[in-house]
Amino acid sequence: MKASHRWLTELSGVDASAADVAAALTRLGLEVEDVEPRGEGLDHVVIAEVRAAAPVQGKDKLTLVTVFDGEGERQVICGAPNVPAPGGRVVLARPGAVLPGGLAIAEREVGGVRSSGMLCSETELGIGPGGAGILVLTNGEPGRPGQLARDALELTDHVFEISLTPNRPDCLGHVGLAREVALAFGVAFRAPSPGVPARLLAGVDRLDAPGDLPLLEDDAPHLDTLTLVEMRAGVPALVPIRIESPERCPRYAGGVVQGVTIGPSPFWLRHRLFSLGVRPIDNVVDVTNLVLLELGHPIHAFDLAKLRGPEIVVRQAREGETMATLDGEERRFTADDLLICDGGGPVAVAGVMGGRDSEIGQDTRDVLIEVAYFDARSIRRTSRRLGLHTESSHRFERGVDPNGVPRAMRRAVSLMCLLARGAASPIARDVCPAPIAPRAIAFDPAHPGRLLGMPIAERQTRAALEAIGCAISPSEDHLWRVHAPTWRPDLGRPEDLVEEVARIGGYDAIPTALPRVLPSGRGVDARLRLARRLREAAADLGLLEAVNFAFVSRDDLTRARIPGAPLALANPLSEERAVLRTSLLPGLLAAVARSRRHQAASAALFELARVYHPVDGEPLPREPWHLAIALAGRRVDHVAEDARFDLYDGKGVLASIVEATLGAPLEAHGDEALDAEAPYLHPRRRARLSIDGVSVGVVGELHPDVGDAADLDARLVYGELWLERLFEAAAARGVPQARALPRFPSVSRDVALVVAESVQVGAVADALATAGERLVEAVELFDVYRGAGIEEGHKSLAFRVVYRDPGATLTDARVDTAHGRVVRAAMEAVGARPRA
Amino acid sequence: MSDALERFEKGLREVSEASAGAFTGRSTEQALRDENAKLVGPNGQLTQLMKLMRELPADRRKDLGQQANALKAEIQAAFEGALDRLARAAREAELTGPALDPTLPGRGVRRGRLHPLTRTIHQLVDVFVALGFDVEDAPEVDYASNCFGKLGFPPDHPATDMQDSFFVERPGGELDTVLRTHTTTVQIHQMLKRPPPMAVICPGAVYRRDDDATHSPMFAQIDGFAVDEGLTFAHLKGVLTAFVRRLFGDEVPVRFRPSYFPFVEPGGELDMGCVFCRPWEADAERTRACRVCKGTGWMEILGCGMIHPVVFEAVGIDPTRYTGFAFGMGIDRISMLRHGVSNIRLLYENDARFLARL
Ligand SMILES: [Zn+2]
Repeated sequence: MKASHRWLTELSGVDASAADVAAALTRLGLEVEDVEPRGEGLDHVVIAEVRAAAPVQGKDKLTLVTVFDGEGERQVICGAPNVPAPGGRVVLARPGAVLPGGLAIAEREVGGVRSSGMLCSETELGIGPGGAGILVLTNGEPGRPGQLARDALELTDHVFEISLTPNRPDCLGHVGLAREVALAFGVAFRAPSPGVPARLLAGVDRLDAPGDLPLLEDDAPHLDTLTLVEMRAGVPALVPIRIESPERCPRYAGGVVQGVTIGPSPFWLRHRLFSLGVRPIDNVVDVTNLVLLELGHPIHAFDLAKLRGPEIVVRQAREGETMATLDGEERRFTADDLLICDGGGPVAVAGVMGGRDSEIGQDTRDVLIEVAYFDARSIRRTSRRLGLHTESSHRFERGVDPNGVPRAMRRAVSLMCLLARGAASPIARDVCPAPIAPRAIAFDPAHPGRLLGMPIAERQTRAALEAIGCAISPSEDHLWRVHAPTWRPDLGRPEDLVEEVARIGGYDAIPTALPRVLPSGRGVDARLRLARRLREAAADLGLLEAVNFAFVSRDDLTRARIPGAPLALANPLSEERAVLRTSLLPGLLAAVARSRRHQAASAALFELARVYHPVDGEPLPREPWHLAIALAGRRVDHVAEDARFDLYDGKGVLASIVEATLGAPLEAHGDEALDAEAPYLHPRRRARLSIDGVSVGVVGELHPDVGDAADLDARLVYGELWLERLFEAAAARGVPQARALPRFPSVSRDVALVVAESVQVGAVADALATAGERLVEAVELFDVYRGAGIEEGHKSLAFRVVYRDPGATLTDARVDTAHGRVVRAAMEAVGARPRA
Repeated sequence: MSDALERFEKGLREVSEASAGAFTGRSTEQALRDENAKLVGPNGQLTQLMKLMRELPADRRKDLGQQANALKAEIQAAFEGALDRLARAAREAELTGPALDPTLPGRGVRRGRLHPLTRTIHQLVDVFVALGFDVEDAPEVDYASNCFGKLGFPPDHPATDMQDSFFVERPGGELDTVLRTHTTTVQIHQMLKRPPPMAVICPGAVYRRDDDATHSPMFAQIDGFAVDEGLTFAHLKGVLTAFVRRLFGDEVPVRFRPSYFPFVEPGGELDMGCVFCRPWEADAERTRACRVCKGTGWMEILGCGMIHPVVFEAVGIDPTRYTGFAFGMGIDRISMLRHGVSNIRLLYENDARFLARL
């Protein structure tokens, strides 16, 4: 919301600097985000009077204008077509002036003639949208020759950009904002009188319909100055209104102004609109916009001649009904949209935008002014459905004041009579099938002190509530009955009133205290605690943490061969982010591919996040947490070494992470089920990970085809651990139990066994460990050999077997016997032979 | 008999002669071991000779045995001496030979980092844990009613514009599940789960349909709240002031001003003194030029307020008995401020050059 400091000063009577007003509004909860000075730098720009004008010879577009600038006459060359006749007033930039666009004015020759200054357009001065030609002041507009233009035309101002929260529609107009300014500076506020029409239609029966809205009071002091105007033949002074949908339109008023003359608005109005970001159009439309900016109440003007009937019907649209809106778009409606119709069909989308066919034009003579109150939710739905967010819908969907209708009507009618020379019907139709009375709130005057944690005198509470427009009457049980003003739809509960008391007193005035919260003893959620330890362990091992978006494209998942269907977003921002990830692989894959493109020698990343697995028949997915690692490129960063990450790096990193966080050994083994479960892994370089037989994850080198699909030029090692399973395994494992330290020494024996390549180390080690000898304490692989002395397709595995008897010192003889049995049994089990 | 004696004595002489120069001029350990094996190995000369011992005359056996053993010891000593000389020569060569090129790059030790968002979360969480808050999780895909209705967002109200949500597709076409737009949903989950009193924070990712230089469709938040009998706005101010001071320093000023969130009343926002131009140090020029706070000296850091009674009503807590306060803040912004990151998207691009530096 843009607001003019000058206008707020006029309305509130508070004479404070823009900076002070901005700070005060922010303290009240109306955050002023920006204060933009206007009219600065217009030194040497003055009002001047035209004394003579003559064409420049040979230059048919140029005029030599003689102006009086308060000090003397000077001659300027002007290229505009609208130089006024002698006596007309214009704006002159004297040499030395620098205009807002940066143009520096100096004496110069134009077409062989000396020009000492420039006559300015609104655009050049930065004070209007311009149009054809220079700014010419009309009679009745202020400014005498020599006066600085910024003083004469009141150009100096500060425009506030206020970030309004949606609960404060009352501040979407300057009067509401001025009320807050007055509040901030402790000044009593009186809303300005809306004025009464200066010209009135004669002969309108004022008792036509009781409850209708009289536009002037009988004893109004200006009755003497009132001009009575004959009604125009065949033009009604009252238009019948029928509301078929009272719950969506609780109030609708229509007032007639006859005989307007469409033309440009005076400079002050054009300038006021322009500086607040509204394009001036003509005097009738400008009045509706001014009322909107002033009172925050959107109103609409119809060309009465274009209304069939003429009558107004407010009803819901018929499914598929259409109408062209002011912006030229053909709109199609649903039965949930509210329309303003005449005798023939729709003429406006209620509260959103008027129709093209009834809009004000150059030849409009008679106007019907609409001032209404619409149901906020209905307007919002229509505005969203049509994708049409307007100044009007913005206010209606936040809630305008239903009881502000008469004021807005009076204001619009009186301005239109004044500026467009119209004559008003003395009464307007005001149909109000569902009156909205101020809300009554039962309020305990001790409530503010109790909730804010400070003593607050009842007197202070009462003053605060009355200052914002509440009426207070006593009720039973020492409670107050507080009637909130209808321009504050946000006030409905006692707590809302507490906030008013708090913000008027200032949040700074509330003390600070630490609560006595008894710790629950729960502390950090177990999953979050484990996640933190896993992350720290992964980072300690040299991995960088990645954070990817939770959404990916369907293609990302397909290309990465992630099995299973993902959950889709109903309204994604793009196809690239259309589904929720079911795996952390696509994100890490993309990150690694990117770092390879940046010529990084290696990438070592991890991510710990949730994935989303749809559950049949359940509205919500499961959200298991995964820890994933991705390693690619050089294992060791050194020019002299070129080892690349492989399966064993992945296994080693994950095992270290698990060891560091759970103190459990991580086992890896082949599993055919991974074909289906992890088709993205290399079928010959992958493993299932488990702890004590509980499957906790997978690790492997990426399937080369998947790498190709991701444009990855390096082998990627990918692994993931599933936090739920880690919990399960940790729980099953329990707390490690202490064991007595061995009292007798161990003895070890080495053995080298030759096995076929297809025999896995784990199988041989297991065979040695479980060959039936309780003396075996440990089996460690210490060498793998292929080559001379070993036939093709075979390998030699060297193990150290550690023997210990917990109850006695082992003799060599006992060990030799045991070792012989162990080796024989193992060889038989796996089909090995001893190495020669 | 005498034949054996003769052969043995001759053999001893031969071994003695052979051993005399056996270890000289050998430049490798293997050569030395080979020579040694020729003399005293399993098939070595002396070993073979010893096999004749039994055939020697008994009166000479002891004497010759001693001679043979002495010779073996001599050979052993010579062998070890030669090994030792070789080792010393190698050591000498290493110490005086060509030096390693110290200008070759050092071998990199991989350094891992937690993501800047994670580190910021850990810091914030630690402060609130120290203040007595539990840390809880809440689902990211949730019922729209938990995200909006139960938190006091009126239906079809512009307040929901503040949080344009992603809906999650359902087989029946219902639009009743969303990616949470704020971690405030933790209030609903926790209050339904356990009775007051409680004090909880919840860090996590949230999602809104925004995508530009200052908005990312996914970002991180922390929400917190406390419910008990007699909690007041003064307590809210106390806890949040303590939070800011522990995180940014005791000298940082804070100010609370009114604002609006549907789930709190009274509602507010907390501004803290700009930690870049540090206006409390009274360098007005520095503040005027500060781009971070745009010269205001203040940075908006979080939204807060007293829990709205509609929230209590939605979860079945008696609002006439209990009060509570709540707050929520964006983690990305705090993280960006701390690290001087200007574009939020950098946080989610996972560029190793960015991650490794922060
Ligand atoms: Zn600053």
